Amino acid sequence: MVFVTRLLLVLVATALLGGLFWFGMTSSQGRGLGPTQVGRVMPGFSLPVFARYQAEFGETLSLPSGKPVVVSFWASWCGPCHAQAPTLEATWRRYRDRVLFIGVNTQDRGNERQAEAFLDQSGISFPNVKDVNNRLGVDYGLFGVPETFFIRPDGTLQHRHAGPISAAQLRAQLEELLQ
Amino acid sequence: MKLLVLILLGLVGLGQAQEILLDQRVFEIGRQLRCPTCIAETVADSAEGISGEMRLIIQEQLVAGKSEGEILAFFQERYGDWVLLDPPRRGIYLLVWALPVVVGLLAGTLLLIYIRRGQQQAAAPLDVSSDEIERVRAALRQEG
Amino acid sequence: MMFDLSLGHLGMASILLAFALTIYAMGSGIVGALKQDASLQTSARFAAFAVFLATTTAVVVMLVALLTDDFSVQYVAETSSRASPTWIKVATLWAALDGSLLLWAWMQTGYTALLALVALNSALRPWALVVMQGVQLFFLAVVAFVVTPFQVLPIPPLDGPGPNPLLQNHWMMALHPILMYLGFVGLTVPFAYAMAALITRRPGTEWMQPVRLWTLAGWGFLALGKITGGWWSYEVLGWGGYWSWDPVENLSFVPWLTATAFLHSAQVQERRRMLKAWNILLVTLTFALTILSTFLIRSGVLSSVHAFAEGPVGPWFFGFFILVMLFSFGLLALRWDQVRDRSEFDSAVSREGAILSGNVLFLAMGFVVLLGTLFPLIVEAVSGQLVTVGAPFFDRVTVPIWLLIFILMGIGPLLPWRRAEGQTLARNLAWMVGGALVAGVLAYTLGIRRTYPLLTVAIAAYNLVSLGLLISGVVRPRVRQGLGHAASIFTRYAYENRRRFGSMVVHFSVVVMALGVAGSSGYRVDQQLNFPIGERVTFGQYELLVTGLFEERRPYKVSRGATVEVFHDDQFVTTLTPRINLFGNSPQPVSTPSVRYTFWSDLYLNLAASVDPHDPAQQSVIIRVVQSPLIAWIWIGAVILALGTGYALLPNPRREPMAVRERVTT
Repeated sequence: MVFVTRLLLVLVATALLGGLFWFGMTSSQGRGLGPTQVGRVMPGFSLPVFARYQAEFGETLSLPSGKPVVVSFWASWCGPCHAQAPTLEATWRRYRDRVLFIGVNTQDRGNERQAEAFLDQSGISFPNVKDVNNRLGVDYGLFGVPETFFIRPDGTLQHRHAGPISAAQLRAQLEELLQ
Repeated sequence: MKLLVLILLGLVGLGQAQEILLDQRVFEIGRQLRCPTCIAETVADSAEGISGEMRLIIQEQLVAGKSEGEILAFFQERYGDWVLLDPPRRGIYLLVWALPVVVGLLAGTLLLIYIRRGQQQAAAPLDVSSDEIERVRAALRQEG
Repeated sequence: MMFDLSLGHLGMASILLAFALTIYAMGSGIVGALKQDASLQTSARFAAFAVFLATTTAVVVMLVALLTDDFSVQYVAETSSRASPTWIKVATLWAALDGSLLLWAWMQTGYTALLALVALNSALRPWALVVMQGVQLFFLAVVAFVVTPFQVLPIPPLDGPGPNPLLQNHWMMALHPILMYLGFVGLTVPFAYAMAALITRRPGTEWMQPVRLWTLAGWGFLALGKITGGWWSYEVLGWGGYWSWDPVENLSFVPWLTATAFLHSAQVQERRRMLKAWNILLVTLTFALTILSTFLIRSGVLSSVHAFAEGPVGPWFFGFFILVMLFSFGLLALRWDQVRDRSEFDSAVSREGAILSGNVLFLAMGFVVLLGTLFPLIVEAVSGQLVTVGAPFFDRVTVPIWLLIFILMGIGPLLPWRRAEGQTLARNLAWMVGGALVAGVLAYTLGIRRTYPLLTVAIAAYNLVSLGLLISGVVRPRVRQGLGHAASIFTRYAYENRRRFGSMVVHFSVVVMALGVAGSSGYRVDQQLNFPIGERVTFGQYELLVTGLFEERRPYKVSRGATVEVFHDDQFVTTLTPRINLFGNSPQPVSTPSVRYTFWSDLYLNLAASVDPHDPAQQSVIIRVVQSPLIAWIWIGAVILALGTGYALLPNPRREPMAVRERVTT
């Protein structure tokens, strides 16, 4: 092999590896989250509603509901869930006639008191259900709490957002849901 | 938890009265699943809550008679291909299975070629020019 | 106002001084080498000593800051804690990214200084030193300008968070990283000499001669580092295993594989003057992989339990990696024609053939591990899809390659150079294969039916027979010559041929460890059981009894656990205390398993749920119980490996001249 060919080989190999690692450094791969599965038909559920919401929303809430739905998973021990509660509540108040917000309390086995305290402190008025066996979290492929799912009226997933969500991100997804 | 214990007693097959909460097979299957909320741990070995739930689910499904393939498929439906630690053999993932074989064959072939060439070079007489032979003869004559 | 000289300032000044001196040393080294100026070269060597002094000062300063709780130093404020015990404060030096880079830089300068001190003068030495200092310059630059652990905080905090709880749980934290770094940095020396060989156009055996001991030592440290890492995982992480094919584990495994390949093919160059280009390539690859692994670990590119938290260091290591790739492989491409040699293979069935085949296998394993580790990243870059490659893949692909290596390890040392003689080879093979079959059948009848353990036992026996044949091949002829009886000849041989005997010991240790891995992975029993307090629970041949719960309080941690009494055949054997630790700085509890080590199998207990000794309602404890047969053989094998490597590093004793017994009449 001529020197130029060999040098070219070295340059190409370096460029390929370099490009790969540059991508690795700048992408979200390192965060370790799984695939977003957009378009997936989200599993239906029928779960018991927290006592304080039963008057308005009934004893159990079921999916599918025929409306676009925002499902937000939280746990009482989750700090960011507390932090994002006001954002969710404010957005709910604006969109409540067009979109259904459901909060799901998951991974809180034996923490009924703390879950109720969470709802007291956050002042959430959209309905919350109890994921009794933590099975809904698994069925939804939850990566952690908080996580928010945007589900179209036909039951397919439009978007999922892991971690606390900002008001702007919420509104953007809702606008798309309502189209 | 206690309910599970009662259900499990017969199906483990050890024939002794033990309160087995999670059977060995749970860990074997768990070792093939990625813990979804951890950075890089398996469902078998992670201490996080979600892994504990998944282990319980695996136990229940084993008791219900599901096979390993069915249990893995259960989680694959919910979390995507990503949750399987053994990449499925289709599409682009085939590369990771195919490349070792391809490279292995290539390496083996190159090795054989290299050795064959080396054997030929060892067997071939050295290439010496007639000038050099004359020089050696002259030097030998000098020494007498 | 008087300038307030704090430890931070002193440390920073030392690092900057080291950096400046390194630039000088490189400069004078390069000029001295080009002009063949002895005084400049000597000046460069003295500069190397001075650099080491400066970095040692920096490390001592940091240790003093840690031990005296000087929180005005940024690294101490970020990583240490008043409540930590002394040994943890010392280990905090390398517990986080910044400190670990300081440690690496210090070791790099130490190796360079040692090289400057002991290396024999030659045309290669000045260039080798320059390359070492080039690497050193990078690490010093990162410490001095990017991570700045010595930064002085104007308002020091009262206390710090303490190191990561996982790192406080076990004394191995003090040992494992040191061994790993000694290994990595040690393998930089052969690379430096290889580069020197390319620069000076002396690609022959000359560069390998001074490098042999450095390579063996670096390889040994890295091997021990990996194994101690495995033992540490076993004792700390709670799942009863020692290797999980985690990306960081894999990335530091691959350069060790190429280093092992080099260790063997170096012999071929020494004896037959072959494989010159191949050896330079291997050494360069090992170093490039080392830099790659340290880059990927510290840049957040791969997700791993071991990965350091992402910091500003990533792009710098990326740049250095690109630089190393271009410089070393570019230089190799430039000089390739002068490095290639006539390869003369008399026969493939020879020592050279076996070593070359072994090399190919080691590299194949390295490739496969690297591919699996990087594959998720490649897939995401190319198609955006997310996939995970984990233990099942790696096990499936590496085991066949490993078994082939294991087989080759038995026959290779028995093959002569150039060409194996048919009859002897056939006879040896007959013994070895016979031993394998006997062991295999025996194991099968004793109940070992699984493929991998059964194959391992058979090939282990084959290897032991091979070692026996090696020894008898040395001892028997001498016994026949009447030079003494077998034991004394053997001892004499072992005493006089340290390199050869050391390698036999290391190969033996590999057999021991292979059996340990096969037993613990093939016949592991793993269950999660419920233990009502006060009731005996059966597990395998043991009976376990939780007698009570306990709580221990220290200034820096609170431990809560269960006291478990272990019975075997109704005899009390031991008490185990698995516990869960809560460290001051972190809400995440860390479980510490309790292990009963025996020669034939381990009993391993880990709490699966937290316990509360103060809660009267707690009537039972959930414990994960693991029994791993032969796992102790891995640690025993590691000790044997260390002894064998150390022995091989010793110089052969001087032979006494033999007295002439008879005059020879012409």
